[in-house]
Amino acid sequence: MIIAGIDIGNASTETALARYVDGKPAFLSSGIVDTTGMKGTRQNIHGVFASLKQALEKAELAVEDVDLIRINEAAPVIGDVAMETITETIITESTMIGHNPSTPGGLGIGVGVTVDIREVNNCDKGASVIVIIPREVDFEASSRIINHAVSNGIFVNGAIVQRDDGVLINNRLDKKIPIVDEVSLIDKVPINMRAAIEVAAPGSVVEQLSNPYGIATVFDLNSEETKQVVPVSRALIGNRSAVIIKTPAGDVKERKIPAGQIIIQGTNKKAQVNVDDGAEKIMEAIRSVAPVEDIKGEAGTNAGGMLEKVRQVMSNLTDQLPSAIKIQDLLAVDTFVPQTVKGGMANEFSMENAVGIAAMVKADKLQMSMIAHELEAELGVKVEVGGVEADMAIRGALTTPGSDRPLAIIDMGAGSTDAAIINKAGEIKSIHLAGAGNMVTLLIASELGYEDMGLAEDIKKYPLAKVESLFHIRHEDGTVQFFDKPLDPRTFARVVILTPNGMFPIPGNDSLERIRTVRRDAKTKVFVVNAIRSLERVSPTGNVRDIEFVTLVGGSALDFEIPQLVTDTLSKYSIVAGRANIRGVEGPRNAVATGLVLAYEEGE
Amino acid sequence: MAINEQMLKSIIEDVLKEMTGAAPAAAPSQAAVAAGSVKLAPVGDAAQGTAADEVVIGLAPAFAESQHETIIGLPHDKVLKEIIAGIEEEGLKARVVKVYRSSDVAVCAHTAAKLSGSGIGIGIQSKGTTVIHQKDLPQLSNLELFSQAPLIDLETFRAIGKNAAKYAKGESPAPVPVKNDQMARPAYQAKAALLHIKETEHVVEGKKAVQQQVSFV
Repeated sequence: MIIAGIDIGNASTETALARYVDGKPAFLSSGIVDTTGMKGTRQNIHGVFASLKQALEKAELAVEDVDLIRINEAAPVIGDVAMETITETIITESTMIGHNPSTPGGLGIGVGVTVDIREVNNCDKGASVIVIIPREVDFEASSRIINHAVSNGIFVNGAIVQRDDGVLINNRLDKKIPIVDEVSLIDKVPINMRAAIEVAAPGSVVEQLSNPYGIATVFDLNSEETKQVVPVSRALIGNRSAVIIKTPAGDVKERKIPAGQIIIQGTNKKAQVNVDDGAEKIMEAIRSVAPVEDIKGEAGTNAGGMLEKVRQVMSNLTDQLPSAIKIQDLLAVDTFVPQTVKGGMANEFSMENAVGIAAMVKADKLQMSMIAHELEAELGVKVEVGGVEADMAIRGALTTPGSDRPLAIIDMGAGSTDAAIINKAGEIKSIHLAGAGNMVTLLIASELGYEDMGLAEDIKKYPLAKVESLFHIRHEDGTVQFFDKPLDPRTFARVVILTPNGMFPIPGNDSLERIRTVRRDAKTKVFVVNAIRSLERVSPTGNVRDIEFVTLVGGSALDFEIPQLVTDTLSKYSIVAGRANIRGVEGPRNAVATGLVLAYEEGE
Repeated sequence: MAINEQMLKSIIEDVLKEMTGAAPAAAPSQAAVAAGSVKLAPVGDAAQGTAADEVVIGLAPAFAESQHETIIGLPHDKVLKEIIAGIEEEGLKARVVKVYRSSDVAVCAHTAAKLSGSGIGIGIQSKGTTVIHQKDLPQLSNLELFSQAPLIDLETFRAIGKNAAKYAKGESPAPVPVKNDQMARPAYQAKAALLHIKETEHVVEGKKAVQQQVSFV
């Protein structure tokens, strides 16, 4: 008798094909294709066909040879992700320019009154000025004018330039001054105000203007005024060049954006928390009211809108009223999003705080039995709904060489992180948590400022390298790889993603180190946090340390670094954790499909 | 651009006129008014560069010799000035060579790249077609190609110089946005062909690239 176990997952549909001889299964082949449509809907059938066909072809069998198909009772769980920026920086009265042009000119610090370069010769002899050079005056003319003014006894102590001319002007000056260039909105720079410019040497950062007392020294401030410039100096920390202009009411503010409240309803407790309080507070609130029954957002706020959207998607999927859909878990993560500074003069960006949220919704039941009926009608083969997904996954995971009961599994998918534990007696306990692969993609995209989710997905999935010449690349770990033929010129001097289909250049100026850090941080924030969280919930004692063996299954367990990050963290709890190897050949894939086949034997 | 230049000149002149007592120092500003032409003086065969901080610009045979402006009338001296300025702004040095053995922009660029100590070269045809090249690439490949000469303005030339310098520094610049206009081809095809033929007339087969001393007068 030939049995096919088919697992319809969020991302892939997997098949395990086995022949039962004397009540013992002998596995023949496996199949894997992308899931068609949203999990638990009619569209899945195409994927099921393709996956089954793939497995049958490998085993040289036809559909007629199959006696029974078992599909999974999919956990009716979907996850959704969203991002809320919770701070913004506002510059009032054009007080400062804190952007980082790649090539400022000159060196040092200069103080003076701002004046248009075309009027600098009207200044009194002996006056200290900072010249403002708009686009219309090119570098040759402006350097001549400055040299001329200096020879006439006017102290030109610095320049603010609209075009990218800083080095060019500096190279033509008799007396070197600090020059900040690429100030795109130069007409917003106030004239006739005292200003200070600082440019640091290559590789260093401004020291005087990022220090409140440094600003006080430059502008002769009293102690009260010094207190007020702290936000300005703080905003300039880490820049190579900076301009501060002293205006009567100028200021830099970091403002919190109200994003609304989240209301968490537990079985016997209730908690409210502001989204702009950050991820830590939100997670604390969720922990304090566990077990969670439902999570709602304050109506009319961004938080409310986001949670309602998740509810709506799930209600469409299951044909239930939105009010019947309960959000049962939420993962909040602190992150940063590059945002344009309001009131800035050079289109400065600042990394603003944001909270990323993944929500997990559970409904009564997906329409798996409907799918089973349709399959049966189309194939003419008996189809049955086999069993709960987590139970099946654990049965499959137990085929990993070296594993035994008691065993815990962590299934890291795209939409949710699931955990299950089986004790010596064979009792299984399982849990679903919000936040998985999609959340990592969102964090990578937002932190690096990408609109393109596909790019962030590739960064998540594959390692990076830097193309150092057309004949060699340097991998993340520093190893160099040489090539006989020149590489694609589009990859020259770029950071590339090493996908199986070749190198893909990453647009933008981010260094390999930065992208790598963002990627690893995102994975840690989601998967490592969720691994601990899920094990805490399924552990018989509520303590992670009481679990001995953990195997990782699911698509994200195939990732090149997530298993290591999780294994490394869990080893601190003296847990043996590692990637599963289903049937000794499948790696972390095919656990549920294999479990479905094995469960038939027990059911008989 | 030309209008801006003139406006600027008149403004500077006005400013100078208004100035009193500063008359003796007015001389340098005179030079600003005469934003002059470029002068190329051959200084022998171009040698293989060793400095990692140079970008070599390879000019096609007719550039600034028998032809003096691009297909849309940008004077060659301004084009060269912008490219050199772009390279200088990034902290690198520009070296200019004249390529005689071909009027093909890929040959000019690749020859320049091979001579360049950094391995990065820029090739320009008299009509304005420009390529950023790297020495290890096949000749007909490129790092960035600006094939539609009628759409390249002075700002683009500055950005081309800047990007070439960034490649030489091992940075990963965003490619200069290439403009595309379907009407450019029909409108300029005849003129482009003519200019190219005129350029090709000045090709001297087998002649080595000649180093140029650049001075703006």
